[in-house]
Amino acid sequence: MLQIVHTEWLKIKKYPAFWWVMGITTLTYPAINSILLYQYNDLVKKESAAGQLVKTLLGNPFAFPEAWKTVAYFSSYFVFIPAIVIIMLVTNEFTYKTNRQNIIDGWSRKEFMTGKLIDVLILSLIVTLLYAAVATIIGLINTTKPGADKWGKAYYIGLFALQTFSQLSIAFTIGLIVRKSFIALAIFAFYFIMLEPITAAFLREKFHSEIGRFFPLQISHKLIPRPAFVGRFDEKAYQATLDAVKYHVGYTLILILLTWGFCFWLNNRRDL
Amino acid sequence: MKFICRPDKYIVVRVYLLCNADFMFILPFQQNAITLSVLTIQNISKSYGKIQALKNLSFDIPQGCVFGILGPNGSGKTTLLSIILDVLKADAGNFLWFGHPGTPEQRKKIGSLLETPNFYHYLSAINNLKITHSISGRGNLAAINSVLEKVKLYERRNSRFSTYSLGMKQRLAIAAALLGDPKVLVLDEPTNGLDPVGIAEIRELMIGLNKMGHTIIMASHLLDEVEKVCTHVAILKKGELITTGNVDDVLADEDVVEISAEDMDALAAAMTSYNNASSLTREGNRLQVTLPKGTSQLHDINRFCFDKGIVLNHLVFKKKRLEAKFFELTNN
Repeated sequence: MLQIVHTEWLKIKKYPAFWWVMGITTLTYPAINSILLYQYNDLVKKESAAGQLVKTLLGNPFAFPEAWKTVAYFSSYFVFIPAIVIIMLVTNEFTYKTNRQNIIDGWSRKEFMTGKLIDVLILSLIVTLLYAAVATIIGLINTTKPGADKWGKAYYIGLFALQTFSQLSIAFTIGLIVRKSFIALAIFAFYFIMLEPITAAFLREKFHSEIGRFFPLQISHKLIPRPAFVGRFDEKAYQATLDAVKYHVGYTLILILLTWGFCFWLNNRRDL
Repeated sequence: MKFICRPDKYIVVRVYLLCNADFMFILPFQQNAITLSVLTIQNISKSYGKIQALKNLSFDIPQGCVFGILGPNGSGKTTLLSIILDVLKADAGNFLWFGHPGTPEQRKKIGSLLETPNFYHYLSAINNLKITHSISGRGNLAAINSVLEKVKLYERRNSRFSTYSLGMKQRLAIAAALLGDPKVLVLDEPTNGLDPVGIAEIRELMIGLNKMGHTIIMASHLLDEVEKVCTHVAILKKGELITTGNVDDVLADEDVVEISAEDMDALAAAMTSYNNASSLTREGNRLQVTLPKGTSQLHDINRFCFDKGIVLNHLVFKKKRLEAKFFELTNN
């Protein structure tokens, strides 16, 4: 196993595109949360009635323990940036035919896929650590209430990690199937940004069907509900969303198993 | 008497007697008792949709040889090498490396170059070879430098693979195959993209490795190269095995003697009555006399012509060229 990790590290450590995208990811997560925090602060600092109403309505979503969920929710929309890295790492192997060279040099197909699984795991871990750091800093800065429960919702670190790993696994699967980086990136971006959210919303609004929450990305998307202030508009629906999280943990784990089972099966079955 | 090699267990010596019964002696296995097969290919077939790339292919590759797999484009050479390296899955049949089914552990001990040089474009030669080392366990940093020197890439060892010329990429692929001095090399078109000096260097390298006991399996359509390097060949055509064996055996299915004299017409006329000649071919001022294998007697031909009043000014036993044999077998 260590040999596989070492080999993957040799492939990545001098890959400029990897470090560029990781740099962008590192900037994006704190940046997007800082912008939203700035806008929130800008709204609530107004002495006007509207400003005070917003403050009463929203509470402080950036203070502990709610900060864990708020930062996780907003950060989760940017998983397509690390997904670029995952798609590049897998499609590069096909572009350069290094996947077949790895096999020729003595890896089994299972070892090759294990290497890629480790890549996705490590990247999910890095992104989760980044989220946790951003949430910690934002929470510490914005928590003014003495005795606030700082770790009350820290379990969102685990939910964020699970969601990230699940969604990056789907990005990986698209890369493995398509094998061309540009096409795989376009498919993932289109599906992530447009197709799945719009289809799920359309089914919900038009046909009152919740089938959309079982779409591949929506399954894990439901792990992190919207910030608590959204619940003020429809408390019953929001509570249902919170209650569904535990079920989606199970659905996500099943989806992850199916995703990787399919990837290992596909790589084992097809010619290289 | 027949020797049947069972590399994993024992050697069976079967003695056939006149009475139609046979006795069997089972001897303890000895590594060097008889020539072992490095690779045994058994009834391998492979199709790409409706196109059958390999048809029930079977042959053995003996240890310590330079084995050339020849065939025109599309004959299935690369498909066969891809199957034995587990890049492609055979539809039917199997293969044995040293008498055992192929495994990743066996592949780690085999230096291979398949089709094109496959490396990470953004990495240098040295970093690419570190990956080869990391996966295969072959060699170390000193060995990496050594093979880069051997293929004359040491000066450019820190340059990115993407900056290399085709010939340099090929040299790096050969370096990767040589890393750790593997006892078996599988090389698919190893001289592809190399200049004449590079081709000669790789040829010398292969001959040198073979002298040290390495087994080299190479696919090529450069017949001249194969003839210079290979000790054994298999010729494929449209996925079928046309012939296989020792190069001399494959080539020498008949004797060819080339003769000439002042009066070529008289010589040609005289030779029509030479008993052994199976055919005569006039090529310019040379006459090629084809005779059954092993029957050519140069002194006999010389005396025959002299008795007919013809003085030969050229008399050479001509080894059949692999190229001629290849064209003959593949009907090209």
